[in-house]
Amino acid sequence: MGENMTPVYLQDSRPDFAPFEIDCGTIPAFRYRGSLRSEMAEGRINAAAAIDLLEDMLMIREMEEMIVTVRSGAYEPLAGFNYRGPTHVSIGQEGASVGACSALILKDHITSTHRGHGDSLARGCCAIRGMSIEQLRKRVSHSTATTREELLEQALEEHVYRTIAELFGKEDGYCRGRGGSMHIADFTVGHLGANAIVGGGVPIATGAAMGLRYLHTGGVVCCFAGDGAYCNGVVLESLNWAAQAQFTNEMAGKHPFGVPIIYFVLNNHYAMTGRSDREVMGVSHVAQRAVGFADNRMHAEIINGMDVLATRDAVMRAAQGCRDGLGPYFFDVDTYRYFGHSLSDPRNEYRTRDEEAAWKAVDPILTFQKQLEDCNVLDEQGIAAVVKRVRGRNARAAVRAAQAADPPPADVIKYMYTDTFVDKVPPEFAKVEVLEPLAPIKRVNGEITYRDAIKEAVVEEMLRDSRVIFYGEDVAEYGGAFKLSKGMLEMFGRSRVFNTPISEACICGTAVGAAMIGLRPVVELMYMDFLLMAGDQVGNQASKWHYMSGAQVEVPMVLRVSVGAGKGYGGQHSQTLESTVVHVPGMYVIYPSTAYDAKGLMKSAIRDNNPVMFVESQGLYNEKGPVPDKEYLVPIGVADVKREGSDVTLVAYGPAVPLALKSAERLQAESSVSAEVVDLRTLVPLDLETVLMSVQKTGRCVVISQAVSVGSFTGEVASRVQQEAFDYLDAPVMRVGAKNGIAPQSHVLEAVFYPRVEDILVAVKSIL
Amino acid sequence: MVKAVTMPKLGQSEETVKIVKWRKQVGDAVAKGEIILEIETDKAVLEVESFFAGTLLKVVAGEGVTVPVQTTVAFIGDPGEAVPDVAPSTTPAATHGPKHESMGPLTRPSPDGHPLPLEREKGLSPLPAERVVPSGGDRVRGSVTSQSSNEGSFQPSASPEVFRISPRALKLAKESAIDPTQIAGTGPGGRIVERDVRDYLEAHGYNRLRITPTAKKLAAREGIDLLSLAGKANGNQITVADIERIVSERPKPLAHIRQIIARRLTESYTHAPHFFVTVSADITEVEALRATLKAQGTAYTVSDFIVKAAAMALEEFPIVNSVSDGEAVRAHSSIDLGLAVALEQGLVVPVIRHANELTLAEIHLRAQDLTARARSGRLMPDEMTCSTFTISNMGMLDVENFTAIINPGESAILAVSSGAKQPVVKNDQVVVRTMMKMTLSSDHRLIDGALAARFLNSIRKHFEEISLWQRLT
Ligand SMILES: Cc1ncc(C[n+]2csc(CCOP(=O)(O)OP(=O)(O)O)c2C)c(N)n1
Repeated sequence: MGENMTPVYLQDSRPDFAPFEIDCGTIPAFRYRGSLRSEMAEGRINAAAAIDLLEDMLMIREMEEMIVTVRSGAYEPLAGFNYRGPTHVSIGQEGASVGACSALILKDHITSTHRGHGDSLARGCCAIRGMSIEQLRKRVSHSTATTREELLEQALEEHVYRTIAELFGKEDGYCRGRGGSMHIADFTVGHLGANAIVGGGVPIATGAAMGLRYLHTGGVVCCFAGDGAYCNGVVLESLNWAAQAQFTNEMAGKHPFGVPIIYFVLNNHYAMTGRSDREVMGVSHVAQRAVGFADNRMHAEIINGMDVLATRDAVMRAAQGCRDGLGPYFFDVDTYRYFGHSLSDPRNEYRTRDEEAAWKAVDPILTFQKQLEDCNVLDEQGIAAVVKRVRGRNARAAVRAAQAADPPPADVIKYMYTDTFVDKVPPEFAKVEVLEPLAPIKRVNGEITYRDAIKEAVVEEMLRDSRVIFYGEDVAEYGGAFKLSKGMLEMFGRSRVFNTPISEACICGTAVGAAMIGLRPVVELMYMDFLLMAGDQVGNQASKWHYMSGAQVEVPMVLRVSVGAGKGYGGQHSQTLESTVVHVPGMYVIYPSTAYDAKGLMKSAIRDNNPVMFVESQGLYNEKGPVPDKEYLVPIGVADVKREGSDVTLVAYGPAVPLALKSAERLQAESSVSAEVVDLRTLVPLDLETVLMSVQKTGRCVVISQAVSVGSFTGEVASRVQQEAFDYLDAPVMRVGAKNGIAPQSHVLEAVFYPRVEDILVAVKSIL
Repeated sequence: MVKAVTMPKLGQSEETVKIVKWRKQVGDAVAKGEIILEIETDKAVLEVESFFAGTLLKVVAGEGVTVPVQTTVAFIGDPGEAVPDVAPSTTPAATHGPKHESMGPLTRPSPDGHPLPLEREKGLSPLPAERVVPSGGDRVRGSVTSQSSNEGSFQPSASPEVFRISPRALKLAKESAIDPTQIAGTGPGGRIVERDVRDYLEAHGYNRLRITPTAKKLAAREGIDLLSLAGKANGNQITVADIERIVSERPKPLAHIRQIIARRLTESYTHAPHFFVTVSADITEVEALRATLKAQGTAYTVSDFIVKAAAMALEEFPIVNSVSDGEAVRAHSSIDLGLAVALEQGLVVPVIRHANELTLAEIHLRAQDLTARARSGRLMPDEMTCSTFTISNMGMLDVENFTAIINPGESAILAVSSGAKQPVVKNDQVVVRTMMKMTLSSDHRLIDGALAARFLNSIRKHFEEISLWQRLT
């Protein structure tokens, strides 16, 4: 079979214990020896672009100095204004942010951090400066200006205004006041968000870059993060993720192409106060991290972050490398934050004033101003004029932002979810290449298993929309731990179906990034227990970005999680944790109980533009049920009456549904009690109405799930039922779940640990 | 800052006051000077104003509770402020009523703040600490349930005092307009469930009752048990008219002030053996004098003259200005005359203190002021207490004669009737005079017939003595 026929790869590495040594190579530091004079001489920059660099650095410093002074009431244009919110200023780091952003183009992306005002302003300014007149006109659509200069000036002022408005929590802010300083984002210029979780944005950047690679856009992601973040697990996982051999070696088939990402470490030498040098890290340079992840050391370099031309040069080289498929790149950018972690940090507890003075002596703005004068680009008055222009523009924007409207309180949870979904696949994504068609799943009496129903749904959606990609641990040749994806690699190739490292946080986080730039990833966590490894990426990232961005971005991803309960695998492979996800609003939660629902809901989930957690029960994988071979969808957020009855309502979801149905049969046979079984199917959004209608009829309600009862979603349902159907209740609402404990391995113990039919019968009989 | 609302001391005599009604509920905003509660002394129902503005944060003493004056009854402050933990220094009045109404709260806070079922508390000493440490199980009644992941481990005891009914059953009972307290419950713990209500309705022929839907709704709203109406309808079906009839026939509680009057008068009439002496006074000349004085600008009332006359008579007969419980006698040191004033809600008796020391003009002004304020409900409690003798004047009501019941704390009361022209024999001539009957009710334990006669005649004598009035006016 030829390479193009099957992507299946069989490893053949034999033992070879011949002694040898590994040469880790070298990492260049401060290689850039250029200057404004040499850059101009070589034609790499002109006078206008050089002035732009100065202006953008000044804009950042001016805005951050405003934050510092406005806090003490000393910022004259806003005397008396009360700024509430974080004060993580990046003064001192302007050369790094501006240099990097000036080397990117409009189709590129960045991610940033809690100290991200500079990155955000710089990305916006540089992107705006690179816009055509039409693009500018679109950006300031209210403008009547005609010349490019006027439009540009207005767009820049609008950019500062919307940035400050976001800091001030205003409806006109980039995120409509929902995000604020630490979550500022402007998706129109590829700013995928600052992140208040240290390191939290790095897997998102990685996923976005992976998505750009898949889409062949030629775009690059520049991932800003601090030195502190490079101690964080998910960041290290991200480096490994981006550097995976399968992206560049023969497994990549026709498209060996490195992930186009630049890890741009804003190494200001301090986390909050923890010293990256000599205290909380064991390497003397963050750059050494790169050595462990890629044979080419990710082209790691140490860059002078106080020199805007050095950072610009580095990112220009890296961006070109990325566009040529040579990514990822890793820059340890040596810089300094003049202020403390925030304004409440006096700094003197962990570093000397002499150190600060030494860094201020190489201030990126002052040194660059000197170069501008030396090269006769600007004289003293010329510089003063730029300073004045920036100061005036910022002050106007700040005053306007302070006076701008607050978001209406009634809209406090507006933008939690989107109501959009993919009705029609855009033509460019509707063409799908199939390598080896999968044999159709055989129906016996019109029935297939729950496992095959899910698989069929994913395959159908992958055939419909090329933006759907599928990854997880061992899902490729092996077909997944539960053989759900067997044959999908062969069908769609490794660009759409691939194995991932054991890296749950990154599986989820990269899906967020990929979804942000337009893909529709379906990713798998082998056991739901592993969700806890990915807590931040699920709870703080996937669930929150639609809201925190003020609905700028949708995160259409499906996170498949499989529940192992009942196999004797013990406490770390048996949990059903949907309630924990429900408690962090922002993500849809689906837990089907039949093959029919599983297929219809999976298809709906993939087409929906909300992030969806799709819970699957391993206990149900082999259960068969009727599944039409014609296309159908099951709507999200609609419960289903699985059995009608008049005496008691059994509310259940997932594997508790067949349990409830069995109980209903026994109640009928043994006690002539007629039980109605309502299958919630989706927990978020919850279809309470169907439950209430049933309870109105029966007057009794038992809520059942396989989860431990403490803190379980069953409690939410029970409380809502008593709240909204109190007058219809003939008895207290009961709950049945697993014991409030840890799933044991012993078969004997496990048998009594999970809810049984007997438990349901006892609960029902206690309220008859 | 949280401020304590204390029960005001409204008069000299009240030691305890009963809370009738809280006009403000916890959480309500209260303005300074706004009425926050109604209280009842043994004399009257009064309104209490707030000294502070803020939010009513906590009510320490609830309705129906009697508290000593100057104790804290509530707290006012800013919403969310912490309120001191104060137990009401009270004895709650026993509540009577249908069983299910007296059910009360089923739980109360346990020492650690978690509600515990009340019945389970009975006879239980506080939990020993080591038994309280839960190992993940639910703590119920001081023990740790080993397995209690599922609910239902708390089985309510079938305590006979607790009326148990499910919300659904209660709703059906209410909609059916029947009294559920008679139904036997067959649900867990003896709870009445829907089927019990249905069985009860069936057994009592409810479904054979013919009733119009509006009548049913009205009965439900008025809490009338439709089953008690079986056979009592005017036509062959129960209509709104039937329900309205029953509602109108239902006893309604008396106004608080009427209840006080009832209690006090019953006590007086049953404890003090009353007897009655009547005289007729000739008021012809007094009436003429009144007309002249009125023309001159002062409209004296008959009562003004009677007050003065009675005050003079009481000076002469101090025993009438005393009180006895049948074992001892206590002389009042001053002559304070109560003047009964009829209001719509009942009777109030403002007091003219030291009536014997006042001129007629002073009496007139005092009586005018008190009566006016009594009518507008602005008397202070002190102005209605501790009279030593009372005058009830029904002269304007065209009555020939009547008797009055002695006010508790006194020994006699004078009932004054209307003046009327009558043929009277005077100097063996039949002449037309204006005559007015006065009847004295006396406590026979202290006052005998002869004394009563002499006292009453003294009043008459002063009253008829025109030269006296000419001197005094
Ligand atoms: C996961 C997480 N842990 C801790 C924090 C609190 N915190 C905020 S910033 C910070 C230091 C981050 O250091 P670094 O990545 O070097 O960025 P810098 O602040 O130096 O720009 C910490 C510990 C956080 N926001 N997120």
